Amino acid sequence: MNRSTRIGIVLASAVGILAPLLLVVWQSFLDGPFFARNVHPSVGAYQFVFDDPDFYRALGNSVLVATGMSLIALPVGALLAFLLVRTDLPGRRWLEPLILTPMFISSIVLAFGFVVAFGPVGLLSLWVKSHLGVLPWDIYSRTSLIVIAGLTHAPHVFLYAATALRSLGSDVEEAARSTGAGPLRVALTVSLPMIRPALLYAAVLVFFLGFELFGLPLVLADPKGELVLATYLYKLTNVLGIPSYQLMAVVVMVIVFIAVPLVWLQNKLLQGANRYVSIKGKAQSSRPISLGGWRWPALAFITLWLLGVVVAPVCALVLRAFLSTWGEGVSITGALTLEHFQELANYPNLVRGITNTLVLAAVGGAASVAVYTLINLAVHRWQSRWARAIDYMVLLPRAMPGIVAGLAIFWVFLFFPPLQPFRQTLLAMWVAYTLVWMAYGMRLVSGSLLQIGPELEEAGRVVGATPARVSRDVTLPLIRAGLVGSWLLVFITFVREYSTGVYLLGPGTEVIGSLLVSLWAAGAVDIVVALSAINIAMVGCGLLLVTLFGRKAHHG
Amino acid sequence: MKRLLMVLLAALPLVGSAAEGPAPSLPDGYPRSYARIIEEARKEGTVSIYSATDSSEVAPLIREFENTYPGVKVEYADQNSTEIYSRFIAEVAAGQGSADLVWSSAMDLQVKLINDGYAQAYASPEKPNLPDWAVWKNEGYGVTAEPLVIAYNKRLMPAEDVPHTRAELETLLRTKKDFYQGKVASYDPERSGVGFLYISQDVEISRDTWKLVEAMAGTSPRLYTSTGAMMERLISGEHLLVYNMIGSYALRRQKKDPSLGIIFPSDFTLTMSRIAFIPAEARHPNAAKLFLDFLLSKRGQAMLAERDMEPVRTDIPNDVPSPPAEQIRAIRVGPKLLANLDQLTRLRFLKQWKRIVRGR
Repeated sequence: MNRSTRIGIVLASAVGILAPLLLVVWQSFLDGPFFARNVHPSVGAYQFVFDDPDFYRALGNSVLVATGMSLIALPVGALLAFLLVRTDLPGRRWLEPLILTPMFISSIVLAFGFVVAFGPVGLLSLWVKSHLGVLPWDIYSRTSLIVIAGLTHAPHVFLYAATALRSLGSDVEEAARSTGAGPLRVALTVSLPMIRPALLYAAVLVFFLGFELFGLPLVLADPKGELVLATYLYKLTNVLGIPSYQLMAVVVMVIVFIAVPLVWLQNKLLQGANRYVSIKGKAQSSRPISLGGWRWPALAFITLWLLGVVVAPVCALVLRAFLSTWGEGVSITGALTLEHFQELANYPNLVRGITNTLVLAAVGGAASVAVYTLINLAVHRWQSRWARAIDYMVLLPRAMPGIVAGLAIFWVFLFFPPLQPFRQTLLAMWVAYTLVWMAYGMRLVSGSLLQIGPELEEAGRVVGATPARVSRDVTLPLIRAGLVGSWLLVFITFVREYSTGVYLLGPGTEVIGSLLVSLWAAGAVDIVVALSAINIAMVGCGLLLVTLFGRKAHHG
Repeated sequence: MKRLLMVLLAALPLVGSAAEGPAPSLPDGYPRSYARIIEEARKEGTVSIYSATDSSEVAPLIREFENTYPGVKVEYADQNSTEIYSRFIAEVAAGQGSADLVWSSAMDLQVKLINDGYAQAYASPEKPNLPDWAVWKNEGYGVTAEPLVIAYNKRLMPAEDVPHTRAELETLLRTKKDFYQGKVASYDPERSGVGFLYISQDVEISRDTWKLVEAMAGTSPRLYTSTGAMMERLISGEHLLVYNMIGSYALRRQKKDPSLGIIFPSDFTLTMSRIAFIPAEARHPNAAKLFLDFLLSKRGQAMLAERDMEPVRTDIPNDVPSPPAEQIRAIRVGPKLLANLDQLTRLRFLKQWKRIVRGR
């Protein structure tokens, strides 16, 4: 790629990322909706928010939750990655997709699953209570929120750590093992320090996701009135009776101001990243470390995590989809029913919703990966201010909680004439999804790119290939497997996404996630759980594909 | 399977065109001039509706409408009331065309839109059949009259505890404060627009409401923004009682789950309405008039009643349980609702609420 193409791509992405964001910035300095007739510049919204004691309570809670969940997710995720990627743990091929599951279930739905399993009258809670007499936990406490958020975000850390570990040669680990170090010691002193950049990146991302957390606190902390920033923002849509965009915009600005220093920190920490290049011109293979006697405790650790974080809430949720009623004093067998699924037939938008979701996730997901790859290639091995600017920008859309991002993108499509014809189409939805998941998708692709040693591309250039040809004939084929893997992960992510599409939802553009949100609000919990069960099945199929593909790539 | 789906999809437009038959006859009692509206509506071909009522709830009604007026297709988008408001005002501002009919349960937001000049006047031929509280300026039409109820868990709440008035509820919560700790739920007026509407209307009818709020505060009530979450935790037994639940949702749930109990408070039962209006800039105004009239017609109202939404008309025989007429206090469709959106009044109300319930 030559310099002007690179700059062109960077500028185009900047416009796509910044347009909705600038709209929000502008909105924060007005006293009404930016499109209304009588609006004036004002800092009133900032005054309102900064004078509101609830804002500081929510901010404090967010800091606490983000810190706590990072402290839990980082070690758990890193350890899971080490065990599954570097050791001879039994059944690891099949465990991996299960570990990723929590990432791919809508957090509202997952949180609801936790309530059905571990809530005050949850299926498991009742069982525990019948044995102990009391329930030793309170799922609605702040501690529970932090623990659940931490454990369900461990897969994020796992994903980045596992990618990095896979590309690591095993010679250093073998050396350590031969001098008598145990597996845990190898993990802590050799393998994990080697992938420090990936771990740091994941830690910052999880910390940041902590500020954006919406579904879990909505279900677990809201009834008691504990707010975090994203649920506080939700409150602002109602506190004045009419939606107050300027107030919501101010909260987004606060999250952006938290994000920017984080990205700066991340970049500082990552500066040594190219020390860890590992797919080099010469062949290299890695051998798993033998766990020996640690095999079974390690397997027990993973099983326990899986049971608590994946199996219990998902099974509870699926079971709930087949129950007419549940809770204290209800016999489960007497309440079994298929009615909720039959009721789905009354739902005229449903078939369209399922088709749209699949199209958006499969075709749209592939298109998004293409976009992420293009941007990545544009800044790949380019020491320039332009490249650094993109690093900051990709995280910015994530600073807007999905619902605000969706609203801002709806505005862009509504008020920018060339885009108007596309507003009521899936294209608008796709743009929104691509932007909101940019930070995640970019990193998936760059993970593959960073593993390619520069000498391979240099070899291409030496024999006279143009930069574009090097990208096409050398770089892309080398990361092909990585790209397919990214596409599958993006596919699953898009299938589960729910808040972004809410404002873009219209006749013809229904997607399951947004239908879930509107159904949940209208009280149709039975249909929500039935639809979630179908959604989980779809995600499950996606994960199965990931596994099968992973096996093929592994053997091939 | 896939092929079957494709064949079905391909057949859809054919079904649509085959349904276009001879001109439908005038509904009983409508003026002769109405034929013109029907004719224009058929030329317009579609009516786009933004609604806060679940599409699964109105699917039979829409089918019936499309059968009655072949050639007029309904595009129905259901969203929550805040989203409808945001979307509608932005679309009108952009001059990009919006819905032909806006139908929402957020009564105050609807009245604000009408007051701000977003609606057009239309004297529906059904108007004489409606109570006078349900119509405002020939622009806003209340379509339902759904009571707000006290819902409780029959399985777990002691039968002798069940209150029938707000005063009884207050006494119960004061005398059995410990038993009801964390067991009472209601809407959060801070985060739910309708929650604010209901509790502020309660206060307007009776200042004693604050005493009830105090009694609830003593039990550390759980406050929700969504009916679904509240209902779920009531039937599971996590909560025993919900104050100000929308009756139509509770009645529907009760059909599946008889352990749900419903009380229409006998001191007074507030009723809320889903308000519909035709936007000034509707692109298919005649089709919108047709649909609005259908919603208000005997047939349309009866179909709403079949889904447990109490009709606004009183001349519809239906078996939806409802409170005695003298007990009902309907929230009037009209400018008084605007006071709800006055910032100072609203923030003052919320401050008082917070002081009592959250102690801050």
